[in-house]
Amino acid sequence: MDKTELDRLLLDAHDRNDHAALIRYYTLAADTCEQAQDIDAACFYLTHAFVFALECGAAEADALNQRLVAHGRGHRLNFSD
Amino acid sequence: MNKHSALSSVLADVTVANGLPNEHYVDPAIFAEEKRSVLFANWSGIGFGKDVPEEGDAKPVDFLGMPLLIVRDRDGEVGVFQNTCRHRGMILVDTPRKIGGAIRCPYHSWCYSLKGELRATPHVGGPGQNKHEDVNRDELGLIRVRSFVWRDVIFVNVDGNAPAFEQVHGALMERWGDFDKPIFHGGETSSFKLEVKTNWKLAVENYCESYHLPWVHPGLNSYSRLEDHYNIEVRGQYSGQGTLVYRQLTDQDGATFPDFEGLSDKWDEGAEYVALYPNVLFGVQRDHSFAIVLEPVDQGNTVEHIELYYAKSIEDTPEYDGLRASNAQLWKTVFEEDVFVVEGMQKGRHGMLFDGGRFSPAMDGPTHNFHHWVATQIENGRAE
Ligand code: FES
Ligand SMILES: [Fe+2]
Repeated sequence: MDKTELDRLLLDAHDRNDHAALIRYYTLAADTCEQAQDIDAACFYLTHAFVFALECGAAEADALNQRLVAHGRGHRLNFSD
Repeated sequence: MNKHSALSSVLADVTVANGLPNEHYVDPAIFAEEKRSVLFANWSGIGFGKDVPEEGDAKPVDFLGMPLLIVRDRDGEVGVFQNTCRHRGMILVDTPRKIGGAIRCPYHSWCYSLKGELRATPHVGGPGQNKHEDVNRDELGLIRVRSFVWRDVIFVNVDGNAPAFEQVHGALMERWGDFDKPIFHGGETSSFKLEVKTNWKLAVENYCESYHLPWVHPGLNSYSRLEDHYNIEVRGQYSGQGTLVYRQLTDQDGATFPDFEGLSDKWDEGAEYVALYPNVLFGVQRDHSFAIVLEPVDQGNTVEHIELYYAKSIEDTPEYDGLRASNAQLWKTVFEEDVFVVEGMQKGRHGMLFDGGRFSPAMDGPTHNFHHWVATQIENGRAE
């Protein structure tokens, strides 16, 4: 998927306040940047994916938080409670 | 020097006392003073547990201009927070909604748990940097407002300085120990509100006296005569009225609501109606109860939030839907009959020559008891 298409999907997900899509596409954006060794950009997108997952209580929040922590970009949260 | 009228005549014995002076009903400056000394300094009702029935339910409430957020957390506990983000002070939740995971501030997306802990601070250390050594999450949780739920009413002590709820209101909790049972809200028809052009205190005062019953509620009079009522007054605590002739509502087949279990026979025909100071009105009867939270909007406007409760849930007793609706209508009629008096007393208090009024020592004890309490709170505030 090219960047323009991804941006379009993200804007559309924001418009619809579709949390599942927001998590999916921000994670995809992060993956792409990570593969290109652009860690700052990856963490920017990971942050967004993580926040939307945290907000809606999605299971992905745990793994996204771990990825940010692995990059030294956040505190490890406890998701067990 | 005290720029307000002295309240000594309000604090005098009921035989010689005056009511609170006009300015306590019509002056915005006194309303602001009461907000601090009476409503924020004590345990005030702000809503009902039934408004946040499920885990994750969040309901914003404006209490005298103070933005509050009522939340039911994952343990099923009700908590109340200041509805203001610890970052830039944005309102966090502006309409009632279900929180799936965390409360996300709509401005910069700081996220809080349902217990108020600050969980995420996105980009706080710069883009993609979600922590900063100077931003300590443990110190930046939502500000919790002390709360207590009793008979489904959510009480808060905004200034945090009142003694514990059970300590302040233990006497009524004990008096009504018989009714310490699960209560079930009667559903949509059992919930209504009245917007009344009156000071909130007049709604309390009218509620706790029986003197007006034969004049204002002539329909009640046939089965609830004045002499069948008694005054309830506990200095510094609560006041109201009781009846000795409560009759259960029946449907066309003679069916009545199921009783609360294990009540003593005092309640066979007894019922009590009590104002729990400052702003919550309760009624208990053998087969249903109600709670009214008075929302003081300003010195001349009040919203009465009225909720009816039963011994059995609506899911378990659909056969009573009709009777519950009739019962709610009956109470609504009674409360609507009171509107013209509380609005009329409010208008009367613009009469500059009114001195607060004189009480019937026999009939107005409960009202005087309330005035005595309000005046004491105000004097305490002025002494600080
Ligand atoms: S004001 Fe809430 S995150 Fe900035
Ligand atoms: Fe009345």
